[in-house]
Amino acid sequence: MNPPPLVRDLIRATSRQAVLWRKEDLLLYEYDALSALRQPEAVVFPTSTQEVVRVIRVAARHGLPVIPRGAGTGLSGGATVAQRGIVVGFSRMNKIVEIDLENQRARVQPGVVNLDLSAAVSDAGYYFAPDPSSQKACTVGGNVAENSGGPHTLAYGVTTNHVLGLEVVLPDGNVVHTGAKFWDRPGYDLTGLLVGSEGTLGIVTEITVRLSRLPEAVNTLVAIYDRVSDATQTVAAITARGITPAALEMMDGFTLRAVEAATHAGYPTDSAAVLLIEVEGLREAVEEQTETIEAVCREHSAREIRRAHSAEERALLWKGRKNAFGALGRIAPNYYVQDGVIPRTRLPEMLEYTAEVEKKYELRIGNIFHAGDGNLHPLIMFDARDPSQCERVGRAAKDLMVKCVEMGGSITGEHGVGVEKNELMPLLFSDDDLAMLRRIKEVFNPLGLLNPGKVLPTGKICGELRVQASVGA
Amino acid sequence: MASSVQSAHMELAAWVGSDHLSDDPAVCRAAAVDGKAPALVVYPSTAEEVAGILRIAATAGLTVIPFRNRTQLDIGNPPERYDVGLSLKEMNNVWHYEPSDLTISVEPGMKLGDLQYLAAQDHLWLPLDPPGGVKASLGGTLATNATGPLGHGYGSPRDVVLGMKIATTEGKIIKTGGRVVKNVAGYDLAKLLIGSYGTLGVIVEANLKLYPLPRQRATYVLRAKSLGMARELRRCILATPLHFLRFLLVNPAGARWLRQGTPLAVESTKPEIWMEAGGSERVLERTQKSLEDLCREAGVSVETCGGAEAESVWNRASEFRHAVVEAQPGTVVVRASLPIAACEEFLSAAQQEAESAEFAALGSPGVGTVHAAISGYRDLGDAGSTIRRLRQSARSFGGALVVERCPVALKAPLDVWGDPGDDFDLMRKIKAAWDPQRTLAPGRMIGRI
Ligand SMILES: Cc1cc2nc3c(=O)[nH]c(=O)nc-3n(C[C@H](O)[C@H](O)[C@H](O)COP(=O)(O)OP(=O)(O)OC[C@H]3O[C@@H](n4cnc5c(N)ncnc54)[C@H](O)[C@@H]3O)c2cc1C
Repeated sequence: MNPPPLVRDLIRATSRQAVLWRKEDLLLYEYDALSALRQPEAVVFPTSTQEVVRVIRVAARHGLPVIPRGAGTGLSGGATVAQRGIVVGFSRMNKIVEIDLENQRARVQPGVVNLDLSAAVSDAGYYFAPDPSSQKACTVGGNVAENSGGPHTLAYGVTTNHVLGLEVVLPDGNVVHTGAKFWDRPGYDLTGLLVGSEGTLGIVTEITVRLSRLPEAVNTLVAIYDRVSDATQTVAAITARGITPAALEMMDGFTLRAVEAATHAGYPTDSAAVLLIEVEGLREAVEEQTETIEAVCREHSAREIRRAHSAEERALLWKGRKNAFGALGRIAPNYYVQDGVIPRTRLPEMLEYTAEVEKKYELRIGNIFHAGDGNLHPLIMFDARDPSQCERVGRAAKDLMVKCVEMGGSITGEHGVGVEKNELMPLLFSDDDLAMLRRIKEVFNPLGLLNPGKVLPTGKICGELRVQASVGA
Repeated sequence: MASSVQSAHMELAAWVGSDHLSDDPAVCRAAAVDGKAPALVVYPSTAEEVAGILRIAATAGLTVIPFRNRTQLDIGNPPERYDVGLSLKEMNNVWHYEPSDLTISVEPGMKLGDLQYLAAQDHLWLPLDPPGGVKASLGGTLATNATGPLGHGYGSPRDVVLGMKIATTEGKIIKTGGRVVKNVAGYDLAKLLIGSYGTLGVIVEANLKLYPLPRQRATYVLRAKSLGMARELRRCILATPLHFLRFLLVNPAGARWLRQGTPLAVESTKPEIWMEAGGSERVLERTQKSLEDLCREAGVSVETCGGAEAESVWNRASEFRHAVVEAQPGTVVVRASLPIAACEEFLSAAQQEAESAEFAALGSPGVGTVHAAISGYRDLGDAGSTIRRLRQSARSFGGALVVERCPVALKAPLDVWGDPGDDFDLMRKIKAAWDPQRTLAPGRMIGRI
């Protein structure tokens, strides 16, 4: 079969090996970690900024949108094809361009895998602070687009706090540079605006990040509870003592049992909830904070508090946590990860509400989340072959989001809006708010050529989750 | 123009009440920006009033500059036009304060000192120390992304804002972000407003992240024998796991300025490094010991101080940029933003470029910022060419230089921001999309936007 004209143009813009266009090759690119949508017309893997520019010009000529894609681990459908378009994959732009330790900076291409960046500087005592649980696979470009968080962003801030500059290709093929290697470049903070814009304002082709010093000492604690409410109350109590742990994660008993079955990380399977707490910093500070935290946990009826005694034990506990979605995936045909935020003092109330939702819709919901930030990830288990379950999953998820908003929170803390929640945006934003967001979009992406159908409501269906998990993982 | 001011005057008076508006020439002169006085000053007390003022002004083709305590108002190119001064001094409310969530929502006119006082009751603080110190308003601090020495430990205003409400020139009040510490719903418009110097919209409410107050603090002073040695010390100290709230490098004139009028006043002839650490007694003991071990080799002793003494020096540090001009009108203050590694070299180059003028510099090498005050120059021409040379020097190190304060006559030929980059076209379009009539502070920001 001869390649169609679009493909010939894309090959001319890049190279023959850089373009996928046969139906069977495109299958994978219907998906990200949320769901499957449509097949792209082609997938192209540029190796340089110049190739990205040429690709976007080809796309414009053919009147086709462009959908940037990192590793496809996104949980809001950001890298899927909402209408038609060309997927631009960054797996071949995966070079660390510069490591500059004295300036605590690195410059990377967008396809660099998050963990590879930290690994490249760890011998010198540095790391890249944002650590999404998917960090073995997800890319720095994806992190920038989603403004990703992770367990350790509680103390150190999310991606936007660690990105100083971007090289961006605009839909008209212009290449611009925002921010700088130094902070506080005069002018509007376009870097801050682009981080979290989910590929709808520009294609990021290079990223300047801040590298952080690895801490001198780390303590990892597991506090075990017989009542969920004791665990959730501990969270705000730790903060009230003036301590910001590096990480403060919670898993409920249901999740723990799944995690143990999958990872054998050493979590107790007979408890109602655990907190996984990490403190980092100077040896002296870590010791003192550990003691205080242990005392707070005991005051809140923790049954037992364990400390990881070795790097291996610590790694195992984190492996259990970071693989938890997958572990839950083993016990039901499908699962749907939600992402909402509430003020952390409202955690006890929110978990009670989640239990009510579980009952109301007759679904199992696992609770695993970044408790210190008030960033919840209820995992709804279901079987996609049963239409009634699918429908209940959607309603349950929406109820949870509405509750987050009622509590003064948000419909997404780190997974993004994507195609999943764009119709829920009116829960948070008025027409006036949305109008100003649209004007920003029109400045960068006037013809809607970049990642259309994402972030902003399309107005076709109002107030519903537009796409929910259907694939399971 | 005069007639449109007159008719807008009536409309504004009807909107905010005639007791919330003044055309008294003395009042207007006091609201002047770069020597240009507005025809009116309005004092809204609600977000809705701010939005209405902007709408009325935009419709009448008038220009508006928002301000509060004027601590940062000197920064910027001279306004092209300036009809209405928008004083935020009546907007001081705290809307939500949740100590256990470490969040607070405030109106823009609230002074930093008042917020710190409130938060301290719960052992919390907002770790910002912008020029103007406690007098700086929160709106002004955010609008100018103003940082001080605490930037070393806590970052800039950009890192403490969770969300905000913004009054637009169409008279709308829009919201971005929220009151929770993590939120990625929609574009982060707060980032755009922070550091926009009042040229896109007026911040009418800000949700901020608070931090626990350090239990105890200690200040350490190192007197380096040269800038070269200061560089070595900075490298070694930043490579340790020690954590500092503030980290300042000052040249001899900067050191004299810092110490002046405090119990720590001594004659300084060498560059000094001033650091502040926070934490428990054990943490501070450890910090001191590690510093001593590290400095022994270099033959430098570690002096320590604390309490009111240290506080007075740190206050002088955050007020530096503002206070040097008050003390000696005509002083030029520049901000160089540099890669971390270039700070000492820039200081030494700048010292030479300043030639015979007095040159006092306070740098935060940990983040790559140097503030310098230049006074005693021969004439404006001399000052102008000194600034150009300093800017060239900052560029040669891969940085940029902004003139924060200088005599107005220097501003026109210089452009205080320097040349914009290849992203300027986007900035221009954003300005046009949000403020199509150029109602807000026209001409003041980068590229005279
Ligand atoms: C098991 C699991 C755990 C997870 N844990 C976390 C977590 O702890 N915290 C968290 O925040 N997220 C988490 N995620 C979500 C996801 O991993 C992150 O959003 C991640 O940053 C996505 O990176 P990616 O490379 O896979 O991007 P993709 O999914 O490929 O793309 C995501 C978005 O980025 C855009 N994009 C990608 N590259 C570019 C570019 N160069 N320029 C412009 N736009 C671009 C895409 O168009 C899309 O909108 C998790 C996901 C899974 C499956």
